[in-house]
Amino acid sequence: MKKLILLSAIVLLTACKNDKSGNENRPATESEGQVVNVYTHRHYEADQELFRMFEEKTGIDVQVVNANADELIQKMSMEGEQSPADVLITVDAGRLTRAKEQGLLQPIESEILENAIPSHLKDEDNEWFGLTKRARIIAYVKDRVNPEELSTYEDLASDKWNDKVLIRSSGNIYNQSLLASLIAHNGEEEATTWAEGMVENMARTPRGGDRDQVKAIVAGEGDLAVVNSYYIGKMLNSSDPEEAATAEKVRLFFPNQEGRGTHINVSGAGVAKHAPNKENAIRFIEFLASEEAQEIFANSNYEYPVLEGLEPAQTLQEWGEFKEDTLNLSVLGDNNKEAVLIFDEAGWK
Amino acid sequence: MLKINSLSKSFDRGKTFALKDVSFELEKANVCAIVGESGSGKTTLVRLISGLERPDHGSIELDGKTISSLRKIIPPEKRKIGLVFQEYALFPHLTILENILYGVSKQKNKKERAKEVLELVGLTSLEKRYPHQLSGGQQQRVALARALAPNPSLLILDEPFSNLDAMLRMQLRNQVFEIIKKTGVTALFVTHDTQDALSVADEILILQEGEVIQKDGAANLYTKPNSVYVASLFGNTIQLTNTLQEAFQCPLNIDCCHAIRNENFNINTECEYISHATVIKKTFLGETVQLLLKLDNGEQLSVVTKEKNVAERIRIGFDSKDVLEF
Amino acid sequence: MKQVGSRGIFSIGSRLQRLKRDSNRWSIFTLAIILFIALPIISIAIKLCDGPGETWGHVVDHLLLDYIGNSLFLVFFCGILVLLLGVSSAWFVARYEFPFRKQMEWLLILPLAIPSYIVAYTYAGIFDYGGTLDLILRVLDLEFIRVDIMNKTGLAFILGISLFPYVYLSARAFFINQANNLLEASTMLGVGEVKTFFKLMLPLARPAIIAGLILVLMEVLNDYGAAKYYGVNTFTTGIFRSWFSLEEPDTAVYLSALLIVIVFALILFEKWQRRNVEVSSSKSNNHRIHRKRGSKGMQVSILCFVLIPVALGFFIPVLQLIYWTFLTAGKVFDMDFIMLSVQSFGIAIISALITVFFAVLLIYFAKWSMLSFFKNIAKMGILGYAIPGAVIAIGVMIPTLAFDKWLIHFLDDWFNIHTGLLINGTLVALVYAYSVRFLAVAYNPIESTSLKVHSTIPDSSKVLGVGNLKTFFKIEFPLIKAGIFSALILVFIDVLKELPLTLILKPFHINTMAVKAYQYASDEMVMEAAIPSLFIIFTAAIPVIFLNKLLIRK
Repeated sequence: MKKLILLSAIVLLTACKNDKSGNENRPATESEGQVVNVYTHRHYEADQELFRMFEEKTGIDVQVVNANADELIQKMSMEGEQSPADVLITVDAGRLTRAKEQGLLQPIESEILENAIPSHLKDEDNEWFGLTKRARIIAYVKDRVNPEELSTYEDLASDKWNDKVLIRSSGNIYNQSLLASLIAHNGEEEATTWAEGMVENMARTPRGGDRDQVKAIVAGEGDLAVVNSYYIGKMLNSSDPEEAATAEKVRLFFPNQEGRGTHINVSGAGVAKHAPNKENAIRFIEFLASEEAQEIFANSNYEYPVLEGLEPAQTLQEWGEFKEDTLNLSVLGDNNKEAVLIFDEAGWK
Repeated sequence: MLKINSLSKSFDRGKTFALKDVSFELEKANVCAIVGESGSGKTTLVRLISGLERPDHGSIELDGKTISSLRKIIPPEKRKIGLVFQEYALFPHLTILENILYGVSKQKNKKERAKEVLELVGLTSLEKRYPHQLSGGQQQRVALARALAPNPSLLILDEPFSNLDAMLRMQLRNQVFEIIKKTGVTALFVTHDTQDALSVADEILILQEGEVIQKDGAANLYTKPNSVYVASLFGNTIQLTNTLQEAFQCPLNIDCCHAIRNENFNINTECEYISHATVIKKTFLGETVQLLLKLDNGEQLSVVTKEKNVAERIRIGFDSKDVLEF
Repeated sequence: MKQVGSRGIFSIGSRLQRLKRDSNRWSIFTLAIILFIALPIISIAIKLCDGPGETWGHVVDHLLLDYIGNSLFLVFFCGILVLLLGVSSAWFVARYEFPFRKQMEWLLILPLAIPSYIVAYTYAGIFDYGGTLDLILRVLDLEFIRVDIMNKTGLAFILGISLFPYVYLSARAFFINQANNLLEASTMLGVGEVKTFFKLMLPLARPAIIAGLILVLMEVLNDYGAAKYYGVNTFTTGIFRSWFSLEEPDTAVYLSALLIVIVFALILFEKWQRRNVEVSSSKSNNHRIHRKRGSKGMQVSILCFVLIPVALGFFIPVLQLIYWTFLTAGKVFDMDFIMLSVQSFGIAIISALITVFFAVLLIYFAKWSMLSFFKNIAKMGILGYAIPGAVIAIGVMIPTLAFDKWLIHFLDDWFNIHTGLLINGTLVALVYAYSVRFLAVAYNPIESTSLKVHSTIPDSSKVLGVGNLKTFFKIEFPLIKAGIFSALILVFIDVLKELPLTLILKPFHINTMAVKAYQYASDEMVMEAAIPSLFIIFTAAIPVIFLNKLLIRK
């Protein structure tokens, strides 16, 4: 019996070793500079392509753990000093701030990044950097809504949109970050009133993803949907002709153009506190902020590049330019938990 | 040879006892029957002796060695006890020969030994078959052969005939015990059928609700039962109540309990104690006739007689030597 | 007569003496395995002692009622649906002869091959605006009917159609193997089919049916993917939310504890309803059920009826996935995909083997231990199934990381070897977590087949002088092979489908199809998720068909 247990243990161990030609699970200790271990929430084909490009360019092997950012953060904090993670990539600034607060990231010095990325899109201590932007916009069906009636996020909670608004659940980080920005701009009390007003105005209880909200307004369940910009881009270029046709029927509205600007969020990266391959990690992030990488982000994923002066994708250009909220995105993380609590109190499912 | 001392077992932490303070001894080469109704603790006793269950109290000695005590338990595989289960428990995926070889695989001359016991039970021709291809009686004999193969110090048969029909049962019983006597093995034989016990056992042990009521030779148990319960196990027994005693005008010791076996009633013959009675109902039973009688003092009584032609009014009586006293 | 005072025998002193006498190496091994399996759960239980997190009050005030209400709603309605679908189809398949009956027998199990979150995605896609139903109606020139499936009623429906095979399997086993004598008796008494079914079969099959139902309900309480997508807040989504969004593991642990209480209540209920209906099944003198052949019309209507659950739970989702596959095939399918499928398959097989190995050890070590209460202790090993995958993942991380850190220092101090994490972030941790989670899945079929082997069989072997291990390999293993195979298949399928646990614990460069499908779907690329989903379904479907053969053979 003992032999059997031992045997299976050996089989398992060898199984883990064999699957990656010489590189161990924690390949870094010899620090030959051959790898960079990436914990990422992003799982887009565009990213895969970028990782390949990076590997070709530098000879550094990119190893990826793909999971929900919350889970990755838990994982890193449990692994502590032994964490093999070099880079953490999330799809919103809130999570990066949270990772920073938990001491999972470290400040890095990189002239390239400092110059490339606008200050409100990165951490003030240089612990993380935004890489792509997405705007949280209002989608509407043109024959039912007069865009002149649309103005701000705050306005969505007013009575005139009663039973007309569609938005996904409060568990969604984009909503949490939107509310976090409202807390920062208007204070907690007004933010609470806003959340309650939104719940009043919802055409249905929140469900599904952003694409589902868009489809629902086209189907007539409501008139307005609050969604991230790139989803509409993706829908317009969808493999499913029906989905593309659906997206054609909606128009985008960038709210708060008269005031502070439309709420944006970033997908960004930071270097892990105990990164075994810090240098590679920095090179990796620098690469993602480079012009060629940013172009790929913009073209295949319909996100806005953070690099200024770069042309966004064709679809994005058609939507026109907009004024973005320049609130420092760290605030999204600072206010995140409060936002979640407010959502629950307001009964936002 | 087998010595059991104050054995107790409870399955519910002492609320009720499956076996309570059981002690007895068994001589070498004897066959002892353990008789009791279902629930009397017979099977528990067997499982304790064979080591499949562990006693809460008491000890077991076999061949002068303690095999079970409060301190130490020899596991069943090291006890050298042969056990034949009620369900035979043959290994369904092994042939008859493989079944028998199973317990002797370490012996040198295992093949010969297997052939020997197969011959003993007269099943040599079936050695290549599988258990499900055999009749109940054949399975029974295979189980016996398998248990005998390793030359056990003690052979236990747990209700070995209860799954067989009456005809087969009698036939097989005689066969099995012939084999047992031939091998000279000490045997414990568990049954709820007193007929089985009386016909084959040297000694009989009566269990009731986990306690030993009486242990004696077959003849003694029949003639000198120590309780109404034991008496009634071995044939219909009628308790002599006060009103019955009045009817027969037999003054007995009032401190004792008295009973008489059904067969010891005599009809229309001279007896020490006599009563007149009216036959209310006759039931034909083949060799015998059952009579429901109404005695003259109004008491009813049911007796069995070989007399086929009885009148409506009869005289019924018994002798004092047949009265059982407890 | 001597009186043995029960007090003497059951005094603490003599009890301890017996405990010492009766504990053997098997008792110690049993405890070791239980500890090993329970370690993640214990780690979480220890966390319970930290007290609830700050937000516990908030959760109680605003969310708990919703969680309880929704979970009970799902348990209730999904329970009713699986009973309707599972029991009726089991009865028809077992009792009646009709065209394609043999095919229906295994088709009815196939919904088990589809993860319920994938079923949820496909139905959302079907009923969507611009979805398949819309398309079909447009082709037929009909008015678009908007069916809103993304709510808790819809979720109960989804979980019902994807989980009913558990009830179907257990009810069918009863009808085929144990109902015949009574059925014949009832027919002889001139009682009609319908009355026989409702008055006789249903009450008799109840323990079997409820055993299947309990499995379904545990799955329902565990569901994360489907509930999250449909926007229904349940205990499990609540655990994720408080653990990750509110960053309060303590609150999540409290919710998990509550969930475990509910599951416990379900298990106790099952035990209680079974209390009077013991054994009777072990005697196999029952002939297999005799099938009835009705009129042509009746046969066809039975076929149509039985096709409903198969269509809902298997064909419709698979067709939708195939349609999506056509739209996206070129994008997803490449060399990586083949690597991915090899990895998924390999991980599932290794995990199944190891889990079944543990289950067998646990069952038999507990049997061989002479302490009777060990059988109940062994049962505790199967609690992992009641705990959401994500919670188990965290539970596995806590002790393995501690061990890893100790090991790193140990190797460094004594042998001057520098290593990284040896268990965490490797297959070892992942497979360990799968074993903890799916031990019950392996335990149940093995235990039930081992119960069918009458205890006197191994007893005879022991009395014949053969020890426990040899008895197992020579006697018991050949007799419970079918149970072991069923266990292997069931764990294999579950591992193939398992999601949250894999997400958290999987090593670098290793990916599974379930993860891939989820990643696409959670990124709102449901269509791209179709190919990995189909891979899971077909990889799982083949052993499912094989499983059916195992279960039908007697």
